[in-house]
Amino acid sequence: MDENQNPVYSDKRHGQYRELSYSYNEGGEYNKTVGFHGEADRVILQQAWDLFNDRIEEARQKVLAGKVSPVVYYMEKNLLDPMNLSMMAGISLWRVKWHFRPNVFKRLRESTLAKYAAAFNITIDQLKNIG
Amino acid sequence: MEQTKTIIDYTHRQAGHCESGATSNLFKFNGLDISEPMAFGIGNGLYFSYIPFLKIQFAPMISFRNLPNTVFKRSTDYLGIEATVVKNIKDPAEAMRMLDRNLEKGLPTGCQVGVFQLTFFPPEYRMHYNMHNLVVYGKEGNNYWVSDTVMEHPQQISYDDLLRVRYAKGAFAPQGKMYWINRRIEGNIDLKPAIIKGIQKTVYEMIGIPFPLIGVKGLRWMARDIKKWPKKHGNDKAAFYLGQILRMAEDFGTGGAGFRYIYGAFLKEAGELFSDHTELLEAADMMGKTANKWREFTYMGARNCKNRSKPEEDYGTLSEKLLEIAAEEEKVYKKLKNIRFQ
Repeated sequence: MDENQNPVYSDKRHGQYRELSYSYNEGGEYNKTVGFHGEADRVILQQAWDLFNDRIEEARQKVLAGKVSPVVYYMEKNLLDPMNLSMMAGISLWRVKWHFRPNVFKRLRESTLAKYAAAFNITIDQLKNIG
Repeated sequence: MEQTKTIIDYTHRQAGHCESGATSNLFKFNGLDISEPMAFGIGNGLYFSYIPFLKIQFAPMISFRNLPNTVFKRSTDYLGIEATVVKNIKDPAEAMRMLDRNLEKGLPTGCQVGVFQLTFFPPEYRMHYNMHNLVVYGKEGNNYWVSDTVMEHPQQISYDDLLRVRYAKGAFAPQGKMYWINRRIEGNIDLKPAIIKGIQKTVYEMIGIPFPLIGVKGLRWMARDIKKWPKKHGNDKAAFYLGQILRMAEDFGTGGAGFRYIYGAFLKEAGELFSDHTELLEAADMMGKTANKWREFTYMGARNCKNRSKPEEDYGTLSEKLLEIAAEEEKVYKKLKNIRFQ
């Protein structure tokens, strides 16, 4: 597991760190090895990132087409669902969903935008313009 | 202005699991040589729960390890080591001041953090996961020196970034939780009573709790559910849920197998400590073989995630494998339960 072949990951930053793993051989010995994680591990992690990236891209397209507000895009980008976003931003769940509407988002107060910006760790300007 | 610098002479060691790694390193710093597996075993790290109606990252909540801080708290309790755990610190700035005061007193301090915004963490693992542990052992200007046992080497993190991850929101939010061992450990500590307590508690959690979603019962429940997923949720969702089991079992490179390797290593060490105790050593062997079966399960599952050609057949096979594993684990716990320690 020592050579870092990174063919499974689509993101070049992935698979760059060596980990410590335990194993057991039939001779009855527990061993510790330090190395890059193997293909099976990469496959299952890439599966998660594929799903997240698909959702993020879909949300981005919808925002650009004016169908949903940038809140949706940033929610997906931060791997959140409405319930978790509600907890993070400190805004009730029904209001969060209400803010998915582009025309509602346009009329939001600075203070509300600030809550989202803080939750997403971005500026209000970035929130308004996903570019 | 001169940069203030407080760095404790703390030895960072990479480990398989963040909490047992941190706990083991903290014990060693304070003069008690306890390996990661020993800390894990005494501290009841081993666990299983399956909560299908609770979704984390779009898939059912599955856990192969106990609640955060269990390993540290229980191992210090059972060993009779004086330690402090501070929870729910309302003011983040105060939590950071408390950390700074500890560092000045020469106390390396464990912190529970969320990994999503943990700057130095391997990016492929940065999903929402708040049960991570690291030890802070130094401060240099505005940056902290951190021992995160997932990493090969010590890391640096800024004040703002550390505060952010100590207060990550979501399920199992850390809320500034911090913990440390109060003072250097003097004298000889007898590990045996602690090992016995640890084993008995783990056995109870895996086969004693009368709740169907926990322990071996939970494993069986999940095994039965797996077969239904393709029909119930469609192939794509089923594959994603399966991936979730595997991601939780892997948990940042524990050698897969949901910590079963680490627990087996603990049983082996314990067996040797108890003068080559036959049953403990046998249990260690059984656990090792079970862990290998988990690894096979992971490989099978990953193949399934990759090419979802014949899902019903594959999920049926996976379900069978998981039931096999559940049966083998049950044998280990029953064996451990029946040991009469002198």
